[in-house]
Amino acid sequence: MTKVWLPCGHYHENYAKDQGWWQTPVIKGKMISLLLIVFVVFPLTLSGYWLSVANMIGYTALGALGVQLLIGYAGLITLGHAAFIAVGAYTSTLLVLYVPWPEFISTWGLAYPISILVAAIVAGLWSVLFGLPCVRVKGFYLILTTMAAQFITVDFILTQYISQIGGRGQAFSLPPGTIKIGPWFIDSDLKAYFLMIFLLVLTIIIMANLLRTRVGRAWIAIRDNDIAAETLGINIVWYKLLNFFMAGFIAGIAGAFWVSNSAALSPEHFPWFWSLWLVGVILIGGGGIDGVIFGSIFMVVVMEFIQMGVISLADVFPDLMMKFLYVKESAFGLAICAFLIYEPRGLSYRWWQIKNYFNLWPFSY
Amino acid sequence: MELFLMTLISGIMVGGIYALVALGWVLIYKCSGVLNLAMGELTLIGAYVSLTFYSMGIPFILSIVLTLLIGIVLGILVERIFLDKLIGEPILAVIMVTVGISFFFKGLVEFIWGTDIRIFDPPIFSLKPVSIGFLHISTVYFWSFVLAIVLFLVFVAFFKYTRWGLSMQATADDETAALSLGVSARFVYAASWAIAFMSAGVGGALLGNINGVTISVGYLGLLVLPAVVLGGLNSIPGAVVGGITIGILQNFAGTYLDQYFPGGVKEIFPFAFMAVFMLFVPYGLWGWIKIERM
Repeated sequence: MTKVWLPCGHYHENYAKDQGWWQTPVIKGKMISLLLIVFVVFPLTLSGYWLSVANMIGYTALGALGVQLLIGYAGLITLGHAAFIAVGAYTSTLLVLYVPWPEFISTWGLAYPISILVAAIVAGLWSVLFGLPCVRVKGFYLILTTMAAQFITVDFILTQYISQIGGRGQAFSLPPGTIKIGPWFIDSDLKAYFLMIFLLVLTIIIMANLLRTRVGRAWIAIRDNDIAAETLGINIVWYKLLNFFMAGFIAGIAGAFWVSNSAALSPEHFPWFWSLWLVGVILIGGGGIDGVIFGSIFMVVVMEFIQMGVISLADVFPDLMMKFLYVKESAFGLAICAFLIYEPRGLSYRWWQIKNYFNLWPFSY
Repeated sequence: MELFLMTLISGIMVGGIYALVALGWVLIYKCSGVLNLAMGELTLIGAYVSLTFYSMGIPFILSIVLTLLIGIVLGILVERIFLDKLIGEPILAVIMVTVGISFFFKGLVEFIWGTDIRIFDPPIFSLKPVSIGFLHISTVYFWSFVLAIVLFLVFVAFFKYTRWGLSMQATADDETAALSLGVSARFVYAASWAIAFMSAGVGGALLGNINGVTISVGYLGLLVLPAVVLGGLNSIPGAVVGGITIGILQNFAGTYLDQYFPGGVKEIFPFAFMAVFMLFVPYGLWGWIKIERM
């Protein structure tokens, strides 16, 4: 869905142009102004509350990018992605809190950046471990394996064993000032926002470029028909495992970012619900990387609006406030069903249609 | 030795309930090809509905019957509203719709009944255990098992001997042939969902009697997935064997493994077992082996 019908008078003269991201001056200007908006205008204008909403959107998008890589590009349906995010978050926290870093690393604030990288790699390897059954099984059976990954990782290993490190029992507390990048302490929503937007843009660039290499084309071939892909000489086991690794890698980055955005870390931040939520995000968003972004924005912002509505109704129905979480769950379930039934190709397809309409406007036929 | 036997027996008893719920799952898959992830929430609804009827002063057996009736209504509604429109859609869409349904129902249950633990009060089964020889089985387990098996046999008899059951069998066997013989596929889909809701609802009511009614009953209902994978996705005898095996395994893990891995090994062991089992026998004991060609 990355292809847009070009306006009259634009032709591709070579392969590089055909594969280019920003194909016309209009698109280039649009994207640069979008980058300006997210890097400059939003931090300057948004209040603390909306910045925290933006951070939530970014965290959701980082998580959902990995899910999109698995489901949308390799056809490997996962319902346990929160486990890999949790692995990333815990790796990063343990590295920051419990590793005796040499003096120069802590003065220069390198511990957290290093921990992001290590967390991503550890989460990637953990994801490969649970991806190994894809050698033998696929489809529904793979779903069950990833569910098992969720229960084994979060409900058993993290809750029963990892959380006991340090003797606190339940959660690791992350007082402000623990997370330091270079000279900056990540202690406000604004700083977390900059970290988020940097990581998000970086991940999107990596993923988008990966998808137009040999690796990405192999994944898409496997998604469309894995038996045909095998006959074409694609080593499907290797590429599926590579896909699991990349998805876990991005999940690890998401988890490590979550550490900087929260004051404490507990297994309850990564329930099975969160795995399903991420799949819901890409179902509502639709295909492609823009689908992830649209889905994250839609889900988070709509939930915020529902919450605002509930708060304003709180005087009339005090019960509603207490039970907001359940309303949210129900609304999420209904939203997934409604999108799958009435808009199965998601928001990004609608956006693509709108763009094409205006590209060819006023002669849209 | 006695501990071993006790663990085995109570495992079989709980496994009977899992088998009943697994029957509902297998039926939906056989008849309409839908892989249902909402089974946990169906058991949850059954537990709370029967509890509500029971606490209104209706006798337990009657409240089970009322739960069955509500199960029929909900099953047909769910099929007509959500699943009917998705016939022929890709597998991910159908699975995720069942996930959406499960969230909808879970949120609804929590909204109506809250999340506190509730028990059937006054208790239905006496605390005095049933003694068979030297074995002592707690009454709840014993009667739950009996009720589950009776219902299971009723459902099986329904398939074997009634006209509706036979039409469901025909659809499961060969949908095109059944359609050409005048079987209404939409009726069969609705009926399979109704039966799934009924079996899961009764299963939930019985599980609620054993552990008390909370949201975690829904998690127990999710154990149906390892059970059906073990038995094969489209095999009714497989559902029985798988359900009972999962019950036994779960109890053994709780008794013998808990000292080595303290914590929730009982809850996750069936899933860990399933993940390993799938590597070696992906189609289960009696499932149809699908051969894929280009």
